[in-house]
Amino acid sequence: MSMFTQKMRMLTAVVMDNDREKVVKALLEKGVMEFVHIGTLPADKMQKLSAHASTIPRAALTDMRVRVETLMKEGAIALPDIEKTSIDDLPDLDMEAARRALDRLSGSLDTIRGQQREINQKINFYKEMIRYKDEKDDEYLDLRVGLTSHGDSKDLLARLEAIGGVFLFSSKPFISLTLRRDSSRVTDIMDKFGWTESTDTEAQKGAMAEAIGEANERIGSLEGELRSLSEEARKRIADKEAELKALWINVRVHELCEHVESFFSYTKNTTLFSGWVPSDDTDDISRTIYDATGGKCIIEWTDADQVDPDSVPVSMTSPKILRPFERMVDNYSTPEYGSINPTPFTAIAYLCMFALMFADLGQGFVLLLVGIIGTIIYKRDPLRKDGLISRYLCNLLLYLGPASMVGGILFGSCFGRPVFPALWFDYEAVVAGEPVGGLVQSVYDILAITIKFGICVIYLGLFLNWINLIRKKRFFELVFDKNGLVGGVVYTIGIWFAYGFVGSGYKEFPSAPWFMPVLLSCLALVVIKGPLGYIIGRRHGKGRESIARVAIDTVMDFVVEVLELFSGFLSNTLSFMRVAGLGIAHASLMSAFYQMAAMPDNAVAAIAIAVVGNVLVIVLEGLSAGIQSLRLNYYEFFTKYFTGHGIAFEPVGLKSRIVSD
Amino acid sequence: MSKVSDYAFVNAKLRARIGIMRSSHLIDEMIKAPSLGEAVSKLEGTRFGHIAEVYRSTGDLQQAELSMMEEEIASYREIAGYLPAHSARFLTVLLEKVEMDNLKNALRLWYSDVVRHHMISFRSAYVCRSLIVHPIDYDKIMNAESYQEMARAFAGTPYEEVVSRFSLDSLTENGLFPMEIALDHLWFKHLDEALRHLKGDDRKLAEKIYSVDVDLKNILMLTRYSYYFHLPPEKLKSVLIPMGYIATEADKRKAAESDDPMGTIREIVERHYPQISEEIAGIRRTTDDLTAAAENADQILRIEAYLGERRKKEYMKLLGGSPFSIGVVLAYFFLYKHEDSLVSAVLSAKNYKWTEDRIREALS
Repeated sequence: MSMFTQKMRMLTAVVMDNDREKVVKALLEKGVMEFVHIGTLPADKMQKLSAHASTIPRAALTDMRVRVETLMKEGAIALPDIEKTSIDDLPDLDMEAARRALDRLSGSLDTIRGQQREINQKINFYKEMIRYKDEKDDEYLDLRVGLTSHGDSKDLLARLEAIGGVFLFSSKPFISLTLRRDSSRVTDIMDKFGWTESTDTEAQKGAMAEAIGEANERIGSLEGELRSLSEEARKRIADKEAELKALWINVRVHELCEHVESFFSYTKNTTLFSGWVPSDDTDDISRTIYDATGGKCIIEWTDADQVDPDSVPVSMTSPKILRPFERMVDNYSTPEYGSINPTPFTAIAYLCMFALMFADLGQGFVLLLVGIIGTIIYKRDPLRKDGLISRYLCNLLLYLGPASMVGGILFGSCFGRPVFPALWFDYEAVVAGEPVGGLVQSVYDILAITIKFGICVIYLGLFLNWINLIRKKRFFELVFDKNGLVGGVVYTIGIWFAYGFVGSGYKEFPSAPWFMPVLLSCLALVVIKGPLGYIIGRRHGKGRESIARVAIDTVMDFVVEVLELFSGFLSNTLSFMRVAGLGIAHASLMSAFYQMAAMPDNAVAAIAIAVVGNVLVIVLEGLSAGIQSLRLNYYEFFTKYFTGHGIAFEPVGLKSRIVSD
Repeated sequence: MSKVSDYAFVNAKLRARIGIMRSSHLIDEMIKAPSLGEAVSKLEGTRFGHIAEVYRSTGDLQQAELSMMEEEIASYREIAGYLPAHSARFLTVLLEKVEMDNLKNALRLWYSDVVRHHMISFRSAYVCRSLIVHPIDYDKIMNAESYQEMARAFAGTPYEEVVSRFSLDSLTENGLFPMEIALDHLWFKHLDEALRHLKGDDRKLAEKIYSVDVDLKNILMLTRYSYYFHLPPEKLKSVLIPMGYIATEADKRKAAESDDPMGTIREIVERHYPQISEEIAGIRRTTDDLTAAAENADQILRIEAYLGERRKKEYMKLLGGSPFSIGVVLAYFFLYKHEDSLVSAVLSAKNYKWTEDRIREALS
């Protein structure tokens, strides 16, 4: 893991056109390079370069890939990994043949769907008849029991089947059950065969039940056929699994090659390309290009500090164990190039906050169990859709569960009960107003703890910001910014002042000989920030502004900055009281549920209430604690040091999921 | 209750749902899909996911469309549950439109069976039989052997009176069209009444949007039934929905009694909707000449496209208006229906193996 964003270097290489394909494949295999368009060369040289001419348009490749993916998804086939061997032995891509193969498969699936539709219509028809019978709407049914005087009964049956209904012709008298709306058609056909109604009253009485029983049986068998056809459709795709996977790899590699080559420029015999590579991989990439070209290439490396830092892509490396927290950082934004990697700090801060808000050994264990079970289920079925408890949440619960358990041990809580002595203090007892000794005696003490925790987090944020600014050599901001040294000093004065005031029992403000001079010096720094910034800007070639404009800007900036300094830091700090708030709510809710559980005399009811209470608290409080921890990280911690102005590093490789220009 | 408490929750919910409607992207992917099955697969992971499931298990597109309609009904009921009583009542009238379409399907099947003597057995399964707004006995409609029997299916519903105005003979002679128009008029009458029950800004907003809706419907009636099907002016007057600018203005100017009724109506339409005056002027009253008929069809398609676009714009304007009004609800259901119709149209086109270009042309 790197403490800071990864150092980057820009590669510019020229290779012979004959070696282009080999180079592209080798670079894709490495997957550590983000390509950039050659746009920095002088215009006269650029004119001699030509753009990449596609053999197969990339849009066609993408359409084909999406089509293969759609069919694979329908057949529950996971996308394959592209290995080095699959590139080396990559066959030519015959788009027309591929299209024909997919059309054939798609066509055979359509045939199955057609069969399914016919069966479904029959099922609907039989169901309609049964429903009429069940709802006593016999009037819509046309039951006939009788015999034919001439003609072949098989012929009659075939003609009746075309209308639809249940026809029992295996024994005499024949039974025909149709819908009344078809009765005229049925009569016309039956008349041709000399149908006469049977006088057998027993047969007449039992005919309806027999016909409905048959309809039910047919529905059962047709539903079986429907399921088999669904299965058959899936099987037909599964039978083509190997072909689909091979085609997908072929199309995907061609698509990636097209993507990479779209960044290339060409002279008559050479290919020129450029891109960013993490500095750790530069030797490897150089070797790869040399190997692919047999040494017939020119490679040039440019360090990131020689170009505009805003244009350098940002790569952060964190150990696998911190992946869920890396995603939290990614969701927020990308840090600037050369700044501190926020992931490890986010992980620590997030887990501490969650543990303080949701401290319970038993409930934490439940979260851990849910995380483990969910992870196993998703691992077993990689194509499974994310449910309410998503893959990411399961992964996160593997951390939040243990954090909550540690909190539970510190505060002596297991499913909201004081099952074992607390390592630090008994949270539930303090909330209930029955402290058992120690320094923490009331909820105010808990609030004080969380405020101190908040102060530590804010100081850490400021400290990280100072390191970032020093590394980026932005000394002006380091001194004058509200998150710079002046902000740090004002914040420290504010804390000293607040503690003095609280320490006196809210009776008097503290005083010290250094207080006013330091505060006024800080305010003076805030005042001169604007004019000084203007002078420095002028030296760097920025435009001239009128003195009145600079003066007005200075006054306005001063007012806003001072407001932000005082109210911003105050609200940021007090915001951490929510950590205590959630913790107290957790303890109070558990206590309320146990009091409710104690009310009924019935032990089963008591256990049920306790279980329901625990489940509700785990779901609702767990969710609240998770969201509040994230909020504190994003708004109170990140805003101190994380500008989010960076561009994410997106290397193109065989495992790249998305290809974008 | 304040407007904020009435609408804050439901409108936030609907705005979030509108935000994830991605019809253009989805429709484009569906059109590109080379087969119906592959087009259906694109619905996975969208709010139409259940349609893909129904299609895969039954292979039956109409079954999937029925499930889409059931979903729409459920959506109306869900949203009505979040609204204050007067707005919920208005939504129930909008749901009546869904019921009306379902009812028309049932009537068409009955007509097909009894009047035209076509078999309807398999098709009857695609009519939604559960209660939508009024207790209509759909089974009775589709199994009725006579007009009187069919009419009894509407007993105790507002449709009873409309159905009683017709007979088997009149339908045999004129087709179902007059009855469908009468049902449409009934719905617009209900809509007009429901609009009066809305309060303050909600009423203004809804009146404005439905006034445009009615105008657009009337323009379509005029172009289709006057120019295309040669409906005489006196009958045309009874076809027009007596709401909105065009009908009110035509009534004011006594267009039906004038020497040139169609000229007067055309003038009214052109004044209020000048963007389509050229198309309307271009329509010729003859179907003897095949070229003219084809040209007329093209002009009408262009008018329909313009009116559809205009309608969409009016509804989209609602989203930029007050966040605590019925506007967001109306816009949501418009977009919902629009998306449903597009998905349905593309699936049907794929079923008939239309080419990508033809589908795009038909949808544009």
